[in-house]
Amino acid sequence: MTSIIQAEGLTKKYGDKTAVDQISFDIAEGELFGFLGPNGAGKTTTIRMLTTIASVTKGKATVAGYDVAKNPGAVRARIGVVPQQLIADDELTGMENVLLFAKLHHVRDEKALKRAAQLLQLVDLQGSARKKAKTYSGGMKRRLQLAMGLVHDPAILFLDEPSLGLDIQTRAKMWDYVRKLNTDNGITVFMTTHYLEEADALCDRVAIVDGGTIKVSGSPAELKMRLGGDLLSIQVTSGTDLTGFLEGVQDVKEVVRLSDAGYRIKIPRVEKALPEIVDGITERGLKILDISFTRPTLDQVFLQVTGRQIRDGEGFGTPQISVLKEEKV
Amino acid sequence: MLSDTVALSGRSLKKWIRNPFSMVPVAIQALVWLLLFGNSFNPGSALSSSGGSLGILQNVFGGATNYITFLTPGVIGMLALTGMTFLGVDFVMDRLNGYLDMLKTSPIPRTSIYFGGVLQNVVKAMFASVITFVLAFLVPDGLRPASGFGVANLLGLFFAIAMLTTVFSTLFTGISVAAKSTDSFFAVVNFLFFPVAFTSTALFPIGFFPGWLKPVAQANPISLASGAARLVIVNGALTASQFSSYFGDILGLVVYAIAFTMLGILLAKNALKVE
Repeated sequence: MTSIIQAEGLTKKYGDKTAVDQISFDIAEGELFGFLGPNGAGKTTTIRMLTTIASVTKGKATVAGYDVAKNPGAVRARIGVVPQQLIADDELTGMENVLLFAKLHHVRDEKALKRAAQLLQLVDLQGSARKKAKTYSGGMKRRLQLAMGLVHDPAILFLDEPSLGLDIQTRAKMWDYVRKLNTDNGITVFMTTHYLEEADALCDRVAIVDGGTIKVSGSPAELKMRLGGDLLSIQVTSGTDLTGFLEGVQDVKEVVRLSDAGYRIKIPRVEKALPEIVDGITERGLKILDISFTRPTLDQVFLQVTGRQIRDGEGFGTPQISVLKEEKV
Repeated sequence: MLSDTVALSGRSLKKWIRNPFSMVPVAIQALVWLLLFGNSFNPGSALSSSGGSLGILQNVFGGATNYITFLTPGVIGMLALTGMTFLGVDFVMDRLNGYLDMLKTSPIPRTSIYFGGVLQNVVKAMFASVITFVLAFLVPDGLRPASGFGVANLLGLFFAIAMLTTVFSTLFTGISVAAKSTDSFFAVVNFLFFPVAFTSTALFPIGFFPGWLKPVAQANPISLASGAARLVIVNGALTASQFSSYFGDILGLVVYAIAFTMLGILLAKNALKVE
């Protein structure tokens, strides 16, 4: 895979404040790469440098083979940018908004019309293309901006917080569009997000950023595997200590006896070991009162590498999958 | 570059044309100037009520047969000035809401962002000028051009006005591109507005100014444009000496426009450069 975006020790200072501190990464052509981090982590500043709006204080970045500082014009011709602000012109129609950006990228008129119609269809706005953007909902405006950023057929798309402020259904739709663009059209996507679920659901590879530096990067699956796999919680009828038995089950990494009859087991994949555990408990004449497990999430990865929650009181939280509850076996 | 400029000004003009209220304030302002100021400050009525001769007045007002005939080019100049101070806000809004950043990531030359603003503001101000001119005809005791006033004279008149709107647009668009907030934009505009407005011969002739202020008043772009416009309105076809006077005024406006364009390009390049 050839790399299409490269950063080496990329640094941005505003006065004394270091917004981005010596970050390095390499993005392959066709990759869907996510910058995940809380507000103020330096995500948008990085995008601003890569899209030639902000200067580079130190280090180097190349986009589509061109140095962003030395050859911004060549970079601009090859990128599409979708900002996090809602900027579409309210008084213009959806189609006009898209065509204006086609014009500014010097796309020939007939080609622009065709492309704009295709893109508006892709983001399900074909029915509203002739309506003024002021009649659009927030989600429609975000989709419109996606079309505005893509009308000149860029090789790389920069998406800054693509689903900021969207409800869950609209967000999932947005993910579909981005995925489609990436897989069907082969566009390399560099996106920022502070939604863990978004990075998890969408990105091939994620870099977790905090305080202007990259804390860890890898595919969401890789990052989660580092935590050691699933956590199984089990509550049985009291009596025998099962610690010894549970530790002997294949792949089990750790067993904690939480109470007289409550256990927490760390295991890479719960489903592989579950039959053996259930059988063993039954053979010992005990019954399972409650059983549940949690899969590791990027939340937990984030917590582990930064020492804090990405943000409190938002998001979906940790999925608790209850397999069996108060059911007598 | 040119196509980018046209595309960018087209964006703004489309919005402006679609807003049914964009023309109404212009018409109201023009009527306020013509009816209220034009009548309350009418030296003609003051003179005739005290038994003076209107012939003297015609002399003082460069041959205009009534005050509104003299005043109309001045009102057009004043409205061009006030209009620009409002039009500049568009740019500041584009900067604040992130639109300018989106433009900056596109491959258009940075100067076309400035020229797009200049062009759209000239078009809007010219439209306001036409409205004012028509209204000046319609108001009682209104604009009375020379008897031989024809199409060529009309073109000469609006050419002078176009030059004035270009002068103001190149200046104020430059300021608005450079302004980081609406506050800083209005601070600069307020600083400029009254000195420019009240050292001009928009409302009364050069003879009213004290000697020390005369050179300033004569060099004021509103004075230059209204001087040129009045020559055409009052005389219709110009004599050779009148034409050279008209040409001198236009030349003065061209010098202003070039200077402000250079300043505007500098301001725009600086304000739109990589941060």
